[in-house]
Amino acid sequence: MRPRLDLLPLAFLLPSILLIGLVILWPLITGFDYSLHAGTMLKQGRFLGAGNYTTLLGNEDFWHALRFSVIFAITNVAGCYLLGLGIALLMNADIPGRPFFRVAFLLPWIIPSIVSVVSWRWMIADAHAPVNLLLKLVGINPIYFLSSDIWAQVVVFAVKIWRSFPFMMLSLLAGLQGIDKTLYEATAIDGATRWQAFIYVTMPQLKNVSIVLCILMTIWTINDFETPFLITGGGPSYATENLILMAFRYVFQRNNVGIGSAVSFVTFLILTALAIALLRLQRDRG
Amino acid sequence: MMAGQPRPRRGLRLLAVSAIAAAINAPIIFMLLNSFRSTEEIMASASLLPDVPTLVNFVFLFARTNYVQFFFNSFFIAIASTVVTVIAAALAGYAMSRWQGRLVGGYARMLLMVQMFPIILALIPLFIIFRVLGMINSPFSVIIIYGAVHLPFATWMFRSFFDSIPRELDEAALVDGSGRFGAFFRIVLPLSGPGTAAVAIFSFLASYNEFFIASVFLRDEAVMTVPVGVQMFMQQYATDWGGLMAAATATAVPTFALFMFVQKYVAYGGVEGGVKG
Repeated sequence: MRPRLDLLPLAFLLPSILLIGLVILWPLITGFDYSLHAGTMLKQGRFLGAGNYTTLLGNEDFWHALRFSVIFAITNVAGCYLLGLGIALLMNADIPGRPFFRVAFLLPWIIPSIVSVVSWRWMIADAHAPVNLLLKLVGINPIYFLSSDIWAQVVVFAVKIWRSFPFMMLSLLAGLQGIDKTLYEATAIDGATRWQAFIYVTMPQLKNVSIVLCILMTIWTINDFETPFLITGGGPSYATENLILMAFRYVFQRNNVGIGSAVSFVTFLILTALAIALLRLQRDRG
Repeated sequence: MMAGQPRPRRGLRLLAVSAIAAAINAPIIFMLLNSFRSTEEIMASASLLPDVPTLVNFVFLFARTNYVQFFFNSFFIAIASTVVTVIAAALAGYAMSRWQGRLVGGYARMLLMVQMFPIILALIPLFIIFRVLGMINSPFSVIIIYGAVHLPFATWMFRSFFDSIPRELDEAALVDGSGRFGAFFRIVLPLSGPGTAAVAIFSFLASYNEFFIASVFLRDEAVMTVPVGVQMFMQQYATDWGGLMAAATATAVPTFALFMFVQKYVAYGGVEGGVKG
């Protein structure tokens, strides 16, 4: 590489830079500016400095949305990891018709969000819906999922896990297939059981990819709008409102651009911290 | 793990995997079955399976609602945004593949960050400016945003396809007197046909499936995409389960069909460039 600045690659990057500049960078700067002002859709109000941010500190909606975002991320990462790893282990074994099952397990991930939500709303629609029929079999009374705070949250968590575990499964399966087979042969010679091989060979070998996947999934979950919005709209009474839904409600329903932008910017800072941690990790591993 | 295990063991595993796959896909299976049952039958029948399959829901959907219009809107927006993404991503992916300088490397990392960006933050200023420009309810607002939002994964995919094409080919073209752009358009891009097709299909799918951005900008039925239209049905016809299931089933068909063409490309999960944002 010559030391002088080569302008030719810049020409190739130009369309991309223009698009990202227009759709991401300019709005990022403008959005930060909005968060420093009072204002509505039609007119920017007076400069408040950090005023919107200090208002947030005393806003119950904000703390609730932040807490919900964190719990949403934790349950989703844990749920996807357990389900994804379980199915990846099964798929890594010798199974007839593996290509068919691969597609079958990817289906919840590839179908559009609106399709998964319509299908799930039927599953929990009323006392005679499939999930309630299943509960009846084990002697549990019908649950009206979307009218109770806690059950609405459970439904949002479950549908989110259902929609996103396939990505975890696919990536962990690739990780499993990359483990050196001689490691298992060595433990077999040492007389290790299958469980010991799993704990002392499989899990340590999956450690790096697991950390990366969990951070990535945390970011995507905090960023999710569609799952809670389409299932519950954030309700009942904001029980399933995360930071993104709160920002959306303040801007597009309450016409409070300042607070909505401040919530979005706080979300941006949280996600950026996670993204930087992720990039550091990937760089350190080479 | 090991080949040649006794048959019963394999049979047992097949049974277990089938049961798990069926349980996980139960919502999709019920959706498919219910789309062929009338709403009366769905509500009245004790059985979960159709007694007499019927097309009445699909007839209603295609003849009495704007669903077909939503479909055309979705296809137009998805194709146009795919063209934007593919052009910008192919050029940038080539730069990332052939130059490893600080500038290009920094831009590549920034693209990864964009993939984790909370899009709501961009939508607020974009909505306000597009409103001033009269671009609310215009497909072009959504096309530009999709074109940019899908750039990161598309650029990284192009980069890895171009990495597999030997640099000697570019250099031969350069010696022949073609410039860098000539080498790219005449040699490298034509050799990446299947890769380009894969990126285009992923990008199309990402646009076709998307709900959030479309729902913010497309509020008029004449311009709505399928997901926004189906969400409107969900509110209007909340109890017409047959119709809703038919709408959801019809919506999933193009996604599924196109995914089958590119499913081998998601083999390694793409930790760096996940398909969904």
